[in-house]
Amino acid sequence: MPENYALKIRRFDPESGEPAYWQDFNVELEPERSVLDGILQVRGDQDGSLAIRCSCQAAICGSCGVKINGRSRLACNTLIGDAAAAAKNGAIVVEPMGNMPVLKDLIVDMDAVHWKKVQRVVPWLLPDGPPPDREYIVPAEAMIDITQSMACIHCGACVSACLSLEVDPEFVGPAALAKAYRFVGDPRDGQTEARLRDLAQDPHGIYDCTHCFQCVEVCPKDVAPMDQIMRLRRRATDDFEIKDSNAGYGHEKAFVNLIEKYGTLHEAQLLPRSYGQGSLIRSQLDPNSLKELAGSLSTVINGLKSGKVSPVKALWHHKLPDQKNVRRIFKEIESKDERLELNLYIVGESGDDEEGAMAEGSQES
Amino acid sequence: MPEHDVLVIGAGLAGQRAALAAAEEGATVGIMSKVHPVRSHSNAAQGGINAALNPEDSWESHAFDTVKGSDYLGDQDAIEIMCRQAPQEILDLEHLGVTFHRNEEGKLGTRAFGGASAARTYYVADITGQAILHVLYEQLMKHDEVYRFEEWFTTALVRDDQGHIAGCVARNIRDGAMELFAAKTVILASGGNGQVYNPTTNALICTGDGIAMAYRIGAPLMDMEMIQYHPTTLQGNGLLITEGARGEGAHLYNAQGERFMEKYAPNKMELASRDVVSRAEQTEINEGRGFPDGTVALDITVVPRKRIHEALREIVNVGRDFAGVDITKDPIHIKPGNHYVMGGVKTDSDGRTPIPGLYAAGEVACVSVHGGNRLGANSLLDTLVFGGRSGTHAARHARGHSMPQPSQASLGDEAKMISEVVGRDRTGRRVSEIKRELGSTMDKYVAVFRDEAGLNAALETVQRLKEEAKTVAIDDKGSVFNQDVLGAIELGFMLDNAEAVVVGALERKESRGAQFRTDYPERNDEEWLKHINITLEENEPKISYSEVTMTQWEPQERTY
Amino acid sequence: MKLAYWPGCVSRGFTPELHGAVAKVAPVLDLELVELDRANCCGAGVIAEHNQELADTLNARTFAMAQGVDGAMGMMNICSTCQGAQSECQERLDADTAYREHINGHIEPEGLTYERDGAWWNKNFLWLLVEEIGLDTLKEKVVRPLEGLRVAPFYGCYIVRPTRRLGFNENPERDTYLEQVIATLGGEPVAYAGSHKCCGFPVITMNKATSLRQAGRHMADALDAGADCVVTPCPLCHLNLDLQQPDAERYVERDLGMPVLHFPQLIGLALGLEPKELGMNKHVVSTRDVQKKVAALAAA
Repeated sequence: MPENYALKIRRFDPESGEPAYWQDFNVELEPERSVLDGILQVRGDQDGSLAIRCSCQAAICGSCGVKINGRSRLACNTLIGDAAAAAKNGAIVVEPMGNMPVLKDLIVDMDAVHWKKVQRVVPWLLPDGPPPDREYIVPAEAMIDITQSMACIHCGACVSACLSLEVDPEFVGPAALAKAYRFVGDPRDGQTEARLRDLAQDPHGIYDCTHCFQCVEVCPKDVAPMDQIMRLRRRATDDFEIKDSNAGYGHEKAFVNLIEKYGTLHEAQLLPRSYGQGSLIRSQLDPNSLKELAGSLSTVINGLKSGKVSPVKALWHHKLPDQKNVRRIFKEIESKDERLELNLYIVGESGDDEEGAMAEGSQES
Repeated sequence: MPEHDVLVIGAGLAGQRAALAAAEEGATVGIMSKVHPVRSHSNAAQGGINAALNPEDSWESHAFDTVKGSDYLGDQDAIEIMCRQAPQEILDLEHLGVTFHRNEEGKLGTRAFGGASAARTYYVADITGQAILHVLYEQLMKHDEVYRFEEWFTTALVRDDQGHIAGCVARNIRDGAMELFAAKTVILASGGNGQVYNPTTNALICTGDGIAMAYRIGAPLMDMEMIQYHPTTLQGNGLLITEGARGEGAHLYNAQGERFMEKYAPNKMELASRDVVSRAEQTEINEGRGFPDGTVALDITVVPRKRIHEALREIVNVGRDFAGVDITKDPIHIKPGNHYVMGGVKTDSDGRTPIPGLYAAGEVACVSVHGGNRLGANSLLDTLVFGGRSGTHAARHARGHSMPQPSQASLGDEAKMISEVVGRDRTGRRVSEIKRELGSTMDKYVAVFRDEAGLNAALETVQRLKEEAKTVAIDDKGSVFNQDVLGAIELGFMLDNAEAVVVGALERKESRGAQFRTDYPERNDEEWLKHINITLEENEPKISYSEVTMTQWEPQERTY
Repeated sequence: MKLAYWPGCVSRGFTPELHGAVAKVAPVLDLELVELDRANCCGAGVIAEHNQELADTLNARTFAMAQGVDGAMGMMNICSTCQGAQSECQERLDADTAYREHINGHIEPEGLTYERDGAWWNKNFLWLLVEEIGLDTLKEKVVRPLEGLRVAPFYGCYIVRPTRRLGFNENPERDTYLEQVIATLGGEPVAYAGSHKCCGFPVITMNKATSLRQAGRHMADALDAGADCVVTPCPLCHLNLDLQQPDAERYVERDLGMPVLHFPQLIGLALGLEPKELGMNKHVVSTRDVQKKVAALAAA
């Protein structure tokens, strides 16, 4: 049964000289129809000047990215009944996506931000040498694995929601980095190390991700861009030992080494080790590291002054009673040739009575 | 004025493939699209792409399946070309980086699909169209010598005084500027016309633009009555559930729990050709054995969970987001829905239309490789093979010609047309109203089962709507992203398409492939084994016929 | 209520005031906390970034120890980051039987096993308070309603995203709990842009600008919204918002002076405990103004 819904839509007419403003509309629709259906009803029957990009209406083309009730998502797969239930003041609030310039109403300039960053990661296959006569032979798991990145429909929701982008517009961004993984994870690409080195060394690259899960939360295709960024980091540090100048390698190494040694985090050593590519000694010798440490000096002093940190604490940290068990776990797992990764995107969840995908053979990465 | 050897209109698979092929030949290439290229409807093709790549398979087998699938209306020479070229096309795509599914040996792996005698469908999960489209776009990003005109709306094709194509007029959607483009050759790759119907699986952009523009400058349209209704679409919104589900083993049931395909296609069952399955479903529904909402059930629960995750994710998403169904646990209700037009602008197997310099490839074209019915996973193949051939041929054709000088008058005419629409007072109906009436009329009278009375009613309505469209008024008077005026232009394109479809359906007094006339229920090879062409002459659709080319296969009775 | 208690690393390291505050508040709420003093760091997402199997094993170890505490209803943590990192690992462990068995193989030499048990949970103190203790019970224990205290909530990413993984299907209001608790304690929850955003801690070593611009902006937004203080259930957020606040001021080019309270400290104040015993003198950004306001309440 059709119901009445109130839409509060952000309008902007670049030719008017006026700033953006809100406009209220009412539509009649069944609750199972989408917010896009509502917007199209407005455009078709009430105000043809309302501009929104849309095409497939089936969450495949990626055109209709907007913010609904403050959240970046596609308009076509947001049920209008759900949106109304989540609306804070009765009206469903619809705005253009964030982190990108607004061109008109709900249309943003994707070229200026999203596509520019995608172009930056060299988004085409770079094989080594000429192709074979028939197909490249690649493991089935590798193709299935990068299908998750391939599933990206370039809707821009992750770009819109990214909190790093909000404060650092030069951040390469979740969509472009997820796209970069599509190549790093493809055995046919011959530039894996170069790609990783490039994105690890770039101060706005893989180590500029603030790990906030926004992109994972908003992606309509379960691409989980942040997970792809973490895989890029993993491959850069573990497979290629790329010691970037952003302390990304150092931070990861430092954290892992400290837990292996103490079982819990020895914060006082975390900072210097991070700047020393994981090593405390190196942190005191490397000039860049010393520079960073000097920059953190005021923070250290404040910590000491507040009484929350004591010099004793800074120098000494207790080990867990049976830390040797923790060390054994580290040894068992880190000494393996290949990492074990269970990707729920690929295997789904086993029911209570099922053995599980792992039983059929491990997912190596 | 921008000048190109080859100007491609439409940036889906066919368009992008054509542009890359032309660039490879050294031509100067421009590619124009009214949406960003990755938004093209090619991205909705889920299931896969056919090729007889397996050494145990043969292109002849693929070709025969296609000929039979077409109900013998397909041109066999073109079909042979397509099926012979298919294996290399797949390998070329793989070399560019398409992430095709693999078997345990790491080689390209296949899945089963409708109407095929062997498993020859290559795929990427259930996002094959998207995967190929994105990889081709990556190549366009790499080859930036190809000019991309993204979000430019083409309003008309332009010919020179000798009748040779000279270019087109297009509007920059971002700022409303109208521009005249000169081109030695133009390749139409603007896709199908599903929006003429409501509901349809097609996107909002599928308004038959290229078909109408070609028609308006005198190119013949062929087999327009052949409209494919896909067997598994959602009730209400018309969303597509890929044939891949049936390929993985899903079953169809009526409301009485019967696996009814047994009665209609005892051998291939759910994997018979699409027209056969659609008719079967519609019969069950019409005869009262469907569910109250006018559907039958598709049961995907029989497919193993891991396989669903690997290969049918999209359906999981569609079921969850748009139908409230967990397809791993419950059947989903579906019915036949408008999906594809086998007909289109008449071309030869190099993509040439009878208008010199004008090419067409993909769904916009009718070569014809699909005849009366298209097999699943042959559309992607069609776009790539004939997109490539058009691009190559157009580039070579361009070498022998000098750059035409399209007349400024055409630009003036189009600009005038637009300001007239924009400036009109509201006296008539809204675009959305006319479009709605058109869509429901077509879905009622020109669908799976047709008859003379219904087709005449449809034609009358279409002609009335054409008149009403002349006074349709819009709200948006601006220049930036004026989607309102584009909607009015698209409405005109759609009505031209609709008229051709109905005229063709009325003319063909037999049932073949997707056309089923309850007043002429039999296939009549003696009188109707021929293509129906419709050409615009003095503002009226004029009918002519052309032969179906047969090489190896004589028409037989078509059973599955 | 008896609970296995995982205090995390930072509460015993650089935010000892948090650990102390919990110890004071727990008895008032009738919580018997059995501290898991043999358990290891949750990895904070960094170990998972490095090696998932390792992170899953380290947390399975903690879960197994918690499950071994006799009579405990479940496990409680006091850190948004622990909650998020552990929930991510638990999701994988619970999703696949064979994988879980494989991981259990690593902790079996210690005699530990993680059991997938729908009834067992790992909840952050914030969730526990609303879902297990209940706001009504909390209200009864309030002796000093924080009337007129304007408190801006800061959740911490790891406890609000991704919603699919953090039980929002069963508990859809988890991203409003801080506001609900503040109101129950008599205070005034303040709405501002940064409440559910990121403090920037994960990139403090890798990109200081990205990190402290975030911290600075959110504190500035809270200030502009009229907050007296910010409250957070995450000690890592606390480090970036409090310890780093003087540095953050440089990045947003304004004075901030926004005190940041730990979640248990706010509760403790309403339960009648004194700022000093709640460690409120151990902050970098002085909490003196908050203390004054609270003291005035006692007088009134």
